[in-house]
Amino acid sequence: MNSLDPRVIRLPDIGEVGRINPKPALDQFGTYEVFVLPKEGKPFQHEGIVHAPNLEMAYVLAKETFTRRFTCASLYVVNTLDVFVSPLSEGNQNVYDQIPQILNQNSAKVNYEIYHLPKRGKQHVHVGRVSASSPEEAFSIAKEQFQKEKIVYNVWVIQSTAIRYTMNEEKDLWLTLPEKKFRDAAEYKGGEKLKEFLKKSKR
Amino acid sequence: MYGGGNTFEEVKTDSFSQEDPIKLAEFEARIERGEKIEPSDWMPQLYRKQLIRMIEQHGHSEIIGALPEGTWITRAPGFKRKMALMAKVQDEVGHAQLLYSAAETLGKSREQMIDDLITGKSKYSNIFNYPTFTWADCCFISWLVDAGAIVNQLANAKGSYGPYCRALDRICAEESFHLKYGHHCVIYLASGTQKQRDMFQEALNRWWPPMMHFFGPADKISIHTQVLMKWKVKMGTNDDMRNQFLDMYVPKIWELGFTIPDSQLKKNSETGRWEYTEPDWEEFKRVINGDGPCNKERLEVRRIAEERGKWVREAMKAPNQKYVSPLA
Ligand SMILES: [Fe+2]
Ligand SMILES: [Fe+2]
Ligand SMILES: [Fe+2]
Repeated sequence: MNSLDPRVIRLPDIGEVGRINPKPALDQFGTYEVFVLPKEGKPFQHEGIVHAPNLEMAYVLAKETFTRRFTCASLYVVNTLDVFVSPLSEGNQNVYDQIPQILNQNSAKVNYEIYHLPKRGKQHVHVGRVSASSPEEAFSIAKEQFQKEKIVYNVWVIQSTAIRYTMNEEKDLWLTLPEKKFRDAAEYKGGEKLKEFLKKSKR
Repeated sequence: MYGGGNTFEEVKTDSFSQEDPIKLAEFEARIERGEKIEPSDWMPQLYRKQLIRMIEQHGHSEIIGALPEGTWITRAPGFKRKMALMAKVQDEVGHAQLLYSAAETLGKSREQMIDDLITGKSKYSNIFNYPTFTWADCCFISWLVDAGAIVNQLANAKGSYGPYCRALDRICAEESFHLKYGHHCVIYLASGTQKQRDMFQEALNRWWPPMMHFFGPADKISIHTQVLMKWKVKMGTNDDMRNQFLDMYVPKIWELGFTIPDSQLKKNSETGRWEYTEPDWEEFKRVINGDGPCNKERLEVRRIAEERGKWVREAMKAPNQKYVSPLA
């Protein structure tokens, strides 16, 4: 290939120009939902997704995609398929009004994490944890515990054991973030240089 | 976003008259109230289609846009500039990931988007079909092409589709670094030696025509455009965006003592609008249809990367995985 860039010229000759075999499903892997704790003492919030072949890789890619700057205290990921989702409400309807009350089931209980959408267009925010014997029951308990006056538009429920958390010994992953000044707009102050230039060019 | 010059599909005006009128009314009322549309909501086919197209094109533009700048990382003047440019290019590729995810919530898989880019079925911002001959060309992109992108992105962040708006909020936060960095580079060239000043002036001469193309041709206001504006898919006309860009950046370019290669360029103090030589839209069309200086190279680089990565994706593939659209 002809190019200004020697690295492009060196690219190997493979395949056929302008053609690619259609990709099989999952060539780009499944999706994982990413939650970030921007600061200690704040709740975890949903930041987006990554594509990954497994939970562990999802964690690594999430760190790279969502925590390159500002501050980060912790991060976790979960397979999209492991998120249970309530209906979505609008206007002044609280979605909890649509969630049925389920009588206490007595089988073994596990922990579920609960997330609220406080406003359409915003991110889901972690509000707490309940102990329940099924996701349906978790919704119902969340309704008892977390339904306040403020309208909630959507609720997510995730079984805690499905989540790949940041372990304590991994928390130093973000310690060097404040040192990466080269990623920060504030590092590129051209004002002084510009003033000097303007003064000189007036003369 | 790179390129207001989004190509929207020509759709006959009755193409949404088949939609359920009650659902359509609810949908429009929600947008009217300023509430965002989320992936699980009912939406008109036309809305879904145009959003997929727009977000996907935006994503492709981030990926392809990383190429003309990426090629300068190893040759950027000094360690600091190399670090900065590397961080910027990484951001741009990250933007593509965020945007592809947002488009995926509307039901198009990432596999399909990547294939459509490589085969030329999907478009990307035309401006990246031009070469970066010198370091100054790279600085022009970092400062002014990103500035144009920010004008578009800030407007679109007020649109109606939740996942796209959230992606844009993240993107705009990073763009402020790109803009500052780009301006910093150009200030240094401007206040440097005569040779450095000439270098940027030459880059400006090369890039001004594609920069004027960047926001796309003046839109004919059709009923179709009106619908997309009512649904807050399209947030302003191409001419409005171009005018806003000129308003913000022409004074900054002039301040540095450079000459913009258009003798007609001036702001009409009565209308408040900029006047300029009409850009060559024939060239724009020719390049967008594949006949620009770098179209072939850009797509080849992407295609070969895809071919070379195949074995890695194969090796990591988890046979038990199932695919669902991401949630938000
Ligand atoms: Fe970008
Ligand atoms: Fe850019
Ligand atoms: Fe950028």
